[in-house]
Amino acid sequence: MDTVLHLINGGAGNLAAYLAAHVLLCLLPAFFIAGAMTALIPKASVTRWLGRNTPYRVSYPAAAAAGSLLAVCSCTIVPLFAGIYKKGAGLGPAITFLFFAPAGNVLALAYTGSILGPEFAFARFVLCLLFGIGIGLLMALLFWRDDASHDAATDTLFAEKGRVGPAATGVLLALVAVLIAGTLKVWPLTATVATATLPLPWAEGWQATLFRLVPFDAARGEEGVSVQGSLLIGLLFLIGLAAWKGLENIVEGANRWTWVALALVAATLLLAALRLTAGQAGLEVSITGRTLAVGIALGAVWHQARRLEGETWRAWLWESWRFVQQIFGLLIVGVFVVGIVRQLVQPEWIQALAGRNDLLANVVAVAFGVFMYFPTLVEVPVAHMFLDLGMHRGPLLAYLMADPELSLQSILMVAAVIGRPKTFTYVALVALFSVVAGLLYGAWVDGVHPGWIAAGLLAFMGALAAMLSWMLGRRTAPARA
Amino acid sequence: MKTVKILGSGCANCRKLEAVAREAATSAGIDAEFVKVTDMKAIMAYDLISTPGLVIEEKLVSSGRIPTQAEILQWMQA
Repeated sequence: MDTVLHLINGGAGNLAAYLAAHVLLCLLPAFFIAGAMTALIPKASVTRWLGRNTPYRVSYPAAAAAGSLLAVCSCTIVPLFAGIYKKGAGLGPAITFLFFAPAGNVLALAYTGSILGPEFAFARFVLCLLFGIGIGLLMALLFWRDDASHDAATDTLFAEKGRVGPAATGVLLALVAVLIAGTLKVWPLTATVATATLPLPWAEGWQATLFRLVPFDAARGEEGVSVQGSLLIGLLFLIGLAAWKGLENIVEGANRWTWVALALVAATLLLAALRLTAGQAGLEVSITGRTLAVGIALGAVWHQARRLEGETWRAWLWESWRFVQQIFGLLIVGVFVVGIVRQLVQPEWIQALAGRNDLLANVVAVAFGVFMYFPTLVEVPVAHMFLDLGMHRGPLLAYLMADPELSLQSILMVAAVIGRPKTFTYVALVALFSVVAGLLYGAWVDGVHPGWIAAGLLAFMGALAAMLSWMLGRRTAPARA
Repeated sequence: MKTVKILGSGCANCRKLEAVAREAATSAGIDAEFVKVTDMKAIMAYDLISTPGLVIEEKLVSSGRIPTQAEILQWMQA
């Protein structure tokens, strides 16, 4: 019985830490940005560069941009992947798009940055971009015959042109400003502007109760629930209720609950940007540079959103709400389960398997990524758990690259569109590239001279090119004879 | 009798679209048959890059978004 209680406490503690102010300041705006990207960016504004006759140097970056801007959920990933492959720029850009989408979209980047650190999010972004294009080019080279057979198909799908309107651009920029103002840990934002103590004598007692309800071990990097955290969790609950009534049928028109939900979201962001400390005198409230910056950015969002047409902003709110429904619930369950699992895993196991940045550790990390399937974004708390347990950052990146790209579910989906031989090649390439990415990033974290890392990358590319030319040679040889 | 196809592999938006379309048909008293298309190959036969797609009488009228009931009615009566 004690063990069960201990495990549940582990889950609850983890959940509390993930609902803390700094995570909400990142996740809430990220959901609205994801919704805005889906509803406000006309897909044709990017897909016009993905047609059959687009030159390579345009179609590959465009495929990466599509992965980053258009594809936040599988509703777009699968059809757009199949469309690029069969009716558009071909196999290579389709693969680049498929590879980059799970790592390059705003939700994944913002969440990785807030949980694992901005430099890690940056490494994930850059390596996924480089390797996404690399794997795309390799696939296009290996299966060039196949693309030739599609040339007869029409590409009217990609002929349409679209532009992002000025109001939509304004909303997107203002939302990004909210995200940046809420998450960046730099001076004007962290400075305290004014402090006031609210005479709330229950604050200190409530804090003590919270610490007793959700025990935590600071030595293991756990955070516990603060008074601020408990208020935020309460507000989230209220947002959920109001959104249920106000956003579920938003496409048909806004109602009173819609405005309540939006006001609650703004209040949550502002509260999360304050600094609250419970003490003997009561609740000490500090207004920081962050509070002001978030307030100004929210004002900008409001100002820009008023310029949108009615139908457009309703679609934006619907998409944002849909992402919350689709991802947030599973994320909460995932974080809770991760907290329980963490109590069961001994740090020694992880350290023995993946504590160093060597080939075995990276291969194990990638294999784990392929065989485990986690819902969208849950891979990030899982990675955080591994980091806490002593996993080296190199293999950790290898895992983070392989996991969202390769799961049994996505492999089956890809196979249905491009067939088995190509899928197996793709899976093998992703595994190979993930291992190499882990080794390179791990070496960089260990402080290896950048020259050596560049040399390693060149050697890998050289070996790959040699292997490729050998394979292509073998394949074309019988045709010549 | 109109044939209405909902293209999509069972995502949240596809279910929502079906509900909205059914409501539109019922409220206007239009006799319509609803077909769910979940197979990717069949979906890709239509020109769309984002699900859910709405097909009325074999014509793709919208994709990647949820139209309002009024819009759907217009397409059904066209």
